Amino acid sequence: MSPIAAAPPAQPFFLDGGAAARFCLYHAPAGHSPAGAWLYIHPFAEEMNKSRRMAALQARALARQGHAVLQLDLYGCGDSAGDFADARWDIWQDDIRRALAWLEQESGCAAGLWGLRLGALLALDVAQTRPLPGLLLWQPVTGGGQFLTQFLRLKVASRMLSDGKDGNSGSGGTAALRQSLAAGEPLEIAGYTLAPALALAIDARAAEQFTPPACPVHWFEIAAESGRPLSPAAARVAAALGAGGATVATHVVAGPQFWATQEIAECPALLDATVQAISEPCHAA
Amino acid sequence: MQPDEQALAFPCADEWLTAILSPAAPASPAAQRGVLIVVGGPQYRAGSHRQFALLARALAARGIPAMRFDYRGMGDSSGPARNFEDVDTDLRAAVDRFMAAVPGLREVVIWGLCDAASAALFYARHDRRVSGLVLLNPWARTADGLARATLKHYYVQRLLQPALWKKIATGQFEFGKALRSFAGLLRTSRAGAAEVPASTVPAAAAAPVATPAMPASPDLHARMQAGWQGFDGPILLIISGADLTAQEFLDMVKASRQWRKLLAAPRVQRRTLPAADHTFSRREWRDQVAAWTADWVGETGPRENGPRETGAHA
Repeated sequence: MSPIAAAPPAQPFFLDGGAAARFCLYHAPAGHSPAGAWLYIHPFAEEMNKSRRMAALQARALARQGHAVLQLDLYGCGDSAGDFADARWDIWQDDIRRALAWLEQESGCAAGLWGLRLGALLALDVAQTRPLPGLLLWQPVTGGGQFLTQFLRLKVASRMLSDGKDGNSGSGGTAALRQSLAAGEPLEIAGYTLAPALALAIDARAAEQFTPPACPVHWFEIAAESGRPLSPAAARVAAALGAGGATVATHVVAGPQFWATQEIAECPALLDATVQAISEPCHAA
Repeated sequence: MQPDEQALAFPCADEWLTAILSPAAPASPAAQRGVLIVVGGPQYRAGSHRQFALLARALAARGIPAMRFDYRGMGDSSGPARNFEDVDTDLRAAVDRFMAAVPGLREVVIWGLCDAASAALFYARHDRRVSGLVLLNPWARTADGLARATLKHYYVQRLLQPALWKKIATGQFEFGKALRSFAGLLRTSRAGAAEVPASTVPAAAAAPVATPAMPASPDLHARMQAGWQGFDGPILLIISGADLTAQEFLDMVKASRQWRKLLAAPRVQRRTLPAADHTFSRREWRDQVAAWTADWVGETGPRENGPRETGAHA
């Protein structure tokens, strides 16, 4: 199978210039009138890099199915302007609104959000503030607090390994780092300088507490084998959103956790399931 | 003010590559040399913790145009995924595009970390436009080399550290995992050819690691040596002190008279960041690498007109 070679090239460009420059990659839809439009919201820090290949593969697959797709690098991330240390949650939300406007203008149709991991949580948050035609959530981070803890653990582990220090011993490691953040001290973790304001914004977000979006939601999780149920945390959030009136379809597919693998990994089952999901009407979970 | 970066798409064989060009700051004299940043390991053109994006901006601010790109099958570029040992066509397409994008550009320095350093060595002697190489922690991994380097530089060093024993005493050290890994390495270092799973590479969980999964083809060392000998321009070698990949490269050099001679040549400048890890995952390390690169590109200056000595060309 090699339909990629025949596909038209995606168009890379910067939305605006200077400090406002955001890297974008536009995949024009095959055919004349687009079947839909999707804006991709990447995950956090190194997860963004690891999943770049999968995002590109999915964007090309959707474009072949007639969807207009825009990949966006948020402020301080990837090729976009700025330093990661200056990134803030609200800047990222503004970036998304700006890119949505561009995509809707270009494609002539309402654009949904497709987010991976923290990008999915960000997408759900944006859905609080404006109507969207749909949400595609890949392995959403459901609790910002837990996600932040996991990121902080990278620093604790790296201290233990590289300096021979014991990471403030045991469970005190991430708690002490949280105290530093609360005191306004930026932390350099795995090469990324995390600003207290961004950390606190992530910490405060929980998908369960969001107003259920009024649009169809496709929720995807990766499992080691097919036939597995949704993880308990995801099932709880999906049920809560559903109970609040959202239409949530959940999908579990087998494959590697490509955003976290040491090597670049592909998950063909997720690519197929995503294409299939948005070509069908959304069913309740 | 720094001019805006440009996003580029250009063909390579039947695929399309994506690149970002950072033009030189306008006050700088017309740049004749640019730096082409080649991506290594499981990364794309932004680099681990954006090292390549930030490096390109730092170089541009110092008056050196820089371009970075994804080769076929990597990042945003189309095509099936491919190995660093087979990217000559991609590098040529990138040099072509870089030259076309920057008027006045006459030569290119290739900057490569990890397996991109090895890929740069393979390519440089085949393109007269390449006037210099910046090689960081070059990838010279073979299965037995990895096992030996791990035992020598990681475990032995750690056994001597009080902190390790403290960790063991407080129950924070995962004995089973470490022993399995250690036993596997002993086997490999003795047997020579066995595969080493990526999970045995220390520090994989703690820092972004940008290394290929599998040992490369058996003639990797010979290919690298041929590339080094065949290229006659200046080389800046940057080594991380806390990196197994770099240790394996230096072990390979130490074990060979020819390699030692190659590295001792006056055209080779070596810099070491003793505390740095494989991907230079701290701002101070990244900034140091960017400063060394910019200084060296400035010092070595544009190549004189006329033919280079080409006796060693294959």
